Amino acid sequence: MLIHFLQDALFAAIAAIGFAAISRPPRRAYIYCALIAAVGHSVRFLLMDGQAMSMHIIPATLLASLIVGTMAVFLSPSAATPAETCLFPALLPMIPGIYAYRCFGGLVLCLLHNSQEAFDRYFYLFAYNGLTCIVILACMVIGATIPIFVFKKISFQATR
Amino acid sequence: MIDDTACPTARGMCLFLADYGAALLGSGATCIRLEKNIDRIAATYGMHAEMTIMPRHLHLTVRRDDSDEIFTATTTVRTSCISFNVNTELSRLSWEIADRRIGWADVDGRYRTIVKDIPQNPWAVLALVTAANASFCRLFDGDGIAMLVVAVATMAGYYLKQQLLGRHVDVRVTFMICAFVSSVLGATDMLFGMGSTPAVAIGTSVLYLVPGIPFLNSFSDLLYRHYICSFGRFIDAMVLTACLSIGLCGGMLMMHAGMF
Repeated sequence: MLIHFLQDALFAAIAAIGFAAISRPPRRAYIYCALIAAVGHSVRFLLMDGQAMSMHIIPATLLASLIVGTMAVFLSPSAATPAETCLFPALLPMIPGIYAYRCFGGLVLCLLHNSQEAFDRYFYLFAYNGLTCIVILACMVIGATIPIFVFKKISFQATR
Repeated sequence: MIDDTACPTARGMCLFLADYGAALLGSGATCIRLEKNIDRIAATYGMHAEMTIMPRHLHLTVRRDDSDEIFTATTTVRTSCISFNVNTELSRLSWEIADRRIGWADVDGRYRTIVKDIPQNPWAVLALVTAANASFCRLFDGDGIAMLVVAVATMAGYYLKQQLLGRHVDVRVTFMICAFVSSVLGATDMLFGMGSTPAVAIGTSVLYLVPGIPFLNSFSDLLYRHYICSFGRFIDAMVLTACLSIGLCGGMLMMHAGMF
């Protein structure tokens, strides 16, 4: 369990650094992105793990994002970057990419099949994956934005 | 604090802020940050700024508080790559202006330096994205072979993306081609029966293309009631996701791999 937890944190940190590189943050921000992503993703792992909490992905993502947002707000003055610079790359490993493309895959397949049974099945997969993707995204942003709302002064003065 | 005697006209301020806002939005900033930064700069010189933020345009009016002097400008949002470095430096510039650590005479020069942005080493980015997507594969319980296959698929796909975008190929076409190539390479795990998690390999091989920042920005704008901008960003992200799904479906069809 502990090894899985640490592995999750390590790989989330690597993923955050790599995906952050696409959006060109200042170099000093990489370490903060990695740290915040590691904590956020491993907390979600712990919440969703069957042996620990067995929570559904949606509330687990909301709670993990809340932690990620809080950490980003309080660490952004040390990084001297806006909170989003640390926050968004740290959230990227939690982006429900698989749900997003499965949603489109379901749409394409339901258009390619003529029988009602196959259409219903793929339409269900399209709707299920699409809805799950949107709700997870909303939870991620709501969770991560609440700390920015609450600690406005810190959030918008980090680059001062 | 410096002793700054230069004071901009409403016209000068408006033209500068319109340019500043276009660059800030183009670098991937949220609407709330744009509003805060622009208000801060305008207030420093006793002015008030009102803006309409559209997905591709910024409409800005600047009014001097103690007179009737007023000026309006409309500008097109820069279609540059997302750059948190530019976002950070432009935010810092707004504070330097507000705290009078930089005079108005030097603001334009400093702004021009920031928006030039230091180019990244493309090989370093390629290596980081490759490692990131392989790690992502591990997060979805992929085995070592799947991680290796995803690393190769990502490296090829991302290199192609850099080359195509460098040659100004349309970003949507680029996404389709890159997703197709990555999914075909990602399917080799299944084709040769090498590892125990081939479905994870093919599924995660294209995840480096998911436009995460535009998705996050769109939801952030939604929370701050910038509905039009939010909708525009969401549609942009959905179009790119659709393009990557088309490429992925093409690759899976060619390799006779099932998505579900």
